[in-house]
Amino acid sequence: MSLFLQSLLDGLIAGSIYALFAVGLTLIYGTLHFINFAHGELIMAGAYFAYLFMMPPLHLSPFISGGCAIVGVVCLALLMDRSVFSPLRNANSLLLLIASLGISLFFQNLAQVIWGAEIRTFPFPLERGISLGPVVITPVQAWILIIAAGAIFLLYLFLKFTRAGKAIRSVSDNPRLAKTFGVETERVIRFVWIVAASLAAVGGVLYAADTNLEPHMGTINLVRAFAAVLLGGVGNVWGALIGGIVIGLSENLGVLILPIGYKDAIAFCVIILLLLFRPEGILGVRWGVR
Amino acid sequence: MTNYLLHILIVCEIIIPFALGLQLEIGETGLYNFGHVAFFGISAYASALLTTHGIPFMGALFASLALAGLFAWGVGYPILRLRGDYFGLAMLGFAEIMRKIFLNESWLTRGPMGIPGIPRPSFFGVPIHTLPRFAIFYGLFVIAAAFAVYHVTRSPLGRVFHAIRDDEYSASAVGKDTFRFRRTSLLMGTLLAALGGVFWAHYITFISPSDFTLNETILALLIVVIGGRWGMAGTILATFFVIGFQEGLRFLPLPESFGRLIAPMQQMFFGLVLVLIVLKREKSWFHKGDRLAQG
Repeated sequence: MSLFLQSLLDGLIAGSIYALFAVGLTLIYGTLHFINFAHGELIMAGAYFAYLFMMPPLHLSPFISGGCAIVGVVCLALLMDRSVFSPLRNANSLLLLIASLGISLFFQNLAQVIWGAEIRTFPFPLERGISLGPVVITPVQAWILIIAAGAIFLLYLFLKFTRAGKAIRSVSDNPRLAKTFGVETERVIRFVWIVAASLAAVGGVLYAADTNLEPHMGTINLVRAFAAVLLGGVGNVWGALIGGIVIGLSENLGVLILPIGYKDAIAFCVIILLLLFRPEGILGVRWGVR
Repeated sequence: MTNYLLHILIVCEIIIPFALGLQLEIGETGLYNFGHVAFFGISAYASALLTTHGIPFMGALFASLALAGLFAWGVGYPILRLRGDYFGLAMLGFAEIMRKIFLNESWLTRGPMGIPGIPRPSFFGVPIHTLPRFAIFYGLFVIAAAFAVYHVTRSPLGRVFHAIRDDEYSASAVGKDTFRFRRTSLLMGTLLAALGGVFWAHYITFISPSDFTLNETILALLIVVIGGRWGMAGTILATFFVIGFQEGLRFLPLPESFGRLIAPMQQMFFGLVLVLIVLKREKSWFHKGDRLAQG
């Protein structure tokens, strides 16, 4: 029983991180209508930027390093958009997918050139877990939950109460109508990149804090995020959020019955099953941040 | 030096059927199969396991092709209902699940340790054990495969493929069962990939799950994106170009410390080329640009 509860908690922690990835991916999908394969590399970049600032010679605190990582990843995302995706604005979604695949390959291997292929971890001291009844949570994990929840809350405030947030919702709901009403599409797209990149960076740092860093960490997390996006219905922000948590839970509970080696295959199975049986997602509402 | 050139030629002869298969699916039919490597891997494993258990090469070859075809038939049945990028992503998922199976079912595949000592092929008693023999033996198969693809693309079947690529709804409106034709295309592409997989296993004589990753699919995709515009001949030429570049880099006299950077830098270059080609061809790419297989 306590193993089950522990897996439930671990799944929730992992899921809250996946939710951050998924929300960014679904925002991009909702406004630009393509699967951004390079989203995984934004996640990876966030983790490595934070690592860079945390290690000597800079030695900054984890929070400041995380902040610097967000800035770095946002710049990277805007650079990607300006150089590749913006010239392809009206192109077929498959061309955009192939271009993003190329970008993903580029940055994955750039990271390997710079940092090597070995697995790294953040320089956190080992700490004793805190017992909460039958389950144990480490301080790092507690921070992960708090930061992830905070990021989601900020996102909610942003989308609900700011002009930029409203503009994002209007464009992803109906781009032509939004344009008719004078919403500047390009500006909105820029906002979407900033939000998606920030969430990817925060998620990447949290993921690296929970597990570790390696240059190819982006791909599997992209897959999880995509599975979450499909679960929630493409373009549905709150659906993606719930989808992320569901993926985290199903991975951690799934390994109770499946061999551990198949953990990464669970998200793929979810994708295939969803595409076949419920392409509009469990929560319905296609195309649109509601 | 001759040996080195022969080695490059043989690797090209392995990759050509693999790339031609993807060319048939993407370039001719508009099936964006991002899991192409799965079938390369299935047949490589099947052939390696059969021959290490004493089945003669030719028997193992045909059995492996049949098995890969069976897999394509099976996964094609549900996944071919999807279109465009969803199809591609679902196939990618299938390929990754296959790789997890290669990795985890150690009783069959020896897991991450891979299968060593795969016997060299023999053709009705003639052993294929030297580089020139490999080049000729594989070359004959590649010529036969290219001949077959050439005829398919010019046949009524090929015209249906093109119609599906350009406008699937019109194709079905004139009475073509597009699902069946898309499956035929997937099956043909798979058999070509499987041929490459068998060649790979018996030339390298060692396979492991890390040989069958998304990177191999991207390699084929790169070849198709570079050469596919000029059809089959373009794909074959692009294979020589890309493989020549890849294998050539390995033999450059570079300092030891630089050696471990070669592979990632080459992948970076491939990624860059992929992006640049898409940017360059935004309008004209694959004859139809924007209208191709959407949604």
